[in-house]
Amino acid sequence: MEIFDFYRKDRWPHVFCPGCGNGAVMNCFYRAFNELGLELDKTAFVGGIGCSSRIPLYINSDALHTTHGRAIAFATGLKLAKPELKVVVFTGDGDLGAIGGNHFINGCRRNVDMTVICINNNIYGMTGGQASITTPHEFLSTTTPRGNKEYPFDLAEIAVAAGANYVARWTTRHVHELTKSIKAALQKKGFTFVEVVAQCPTNFGRRNRMADPTQMLEWMRESSIRRDKAKANAVDHVDLNLEGKITVGEFVDRNRECYEELIGVSKHG
Amino acid sequence: MKPVIDPKFCKACNICVYICPKKCYSKGSGIGETGYFTAVVSAAEKCYNHNREGKLLCELCILSCPDQAISWHEETEEEKKK
Repeated sequence: MEIFDFYRKDRWPHVFCPGCGNGAVMNCFYRAFNELGLELDKTAFVGGIGCSSRIPLYINSDALHTTHGRAIAFATGLKLAKPELKVVVFTGDGDLGAIGGNHFINGCRRNVDMTVICINNNIYGMTGGQASITTPHEFLSTTTPRGNKEYPFDLAEIAVAAGANYVARWTTRHVHELTKSIKAALQKKGFTFVEVVAQCPTNFGRRNRMADPTQMLEWMRESSIRRDKAKANAVDHVDLNLEGKITVGEFVDRNRECYEELIGVSKHG
Repeated sequence: MKPVIDPKFCKACNICVYICPKKCYSKGSGIGETGYFTAVVSAAEKCYNHNREGKLLCELCILSCPDQAISWHEETEEEKKK
């Protein structure tokens, strides 16, 4: 499959700002999807509201553009009604963690068979740079001009605790590892969650002395630490703040029974 | 194979200039047709995939380009000799 068989060329160039991390995630997803040889006709893409949730609209397949934060709720219904479809949710940190936090936790708990790719850009980028639940401690935004006094949510750890089958976190500086993780997530049955820390040079970087997207990539490279190394150094919780590090790596890989098997949907689907 | 930048899609974020380990790319000096200072492939012969067939190596630029502007093209006979 050529890249513009997968994407809608009539919508190109896309709406994202120069240097936005969403494009890199799109590339990695296309690469993983292509290498696995999946079919576009048997895949449905779901997105909520936000920059990253616009990705399904650029893919040459059926897409569901839903209300704010409810992407996982809609995807659950879609999967139960059409069990033969592979469901992929593209979502952002504000959509998944803030507005739809409860849907996310309960989606993990039920273990519905879907792949969720969360593009975490640490800010509400589309609405003008307000502090979101994942804005790191002491970072600036339009609503926190003297530094964010709150501590951020760790979405990947929440997914592990809530019971997802596969959880990984990478940044857009780790494109090859991200491609491998998306591939593993697409192959696995059950709720699979890949969090990608992506750069937002326009609204996050510009207010934190990283206006150039390459400066943001350098920040990610310097501040990311492998999860196995963090464990070896006996760091039980790693904060995403100015001095802290972004833990990257595979968080969990297990085979819990998924929701369709439990209620027997796949038998009569 | 050589990397080629499509000037219609490039938005001049210069991530390719930063990420290429062999410094194949350089910042653009002139305004392209979309109004951006689009990056240029200045040294395609330094690339890991120069004269390579089959499975390609590295590919950091292709995977990191946010605008899908970079693609692989076959080299001409003159470029293969470099």
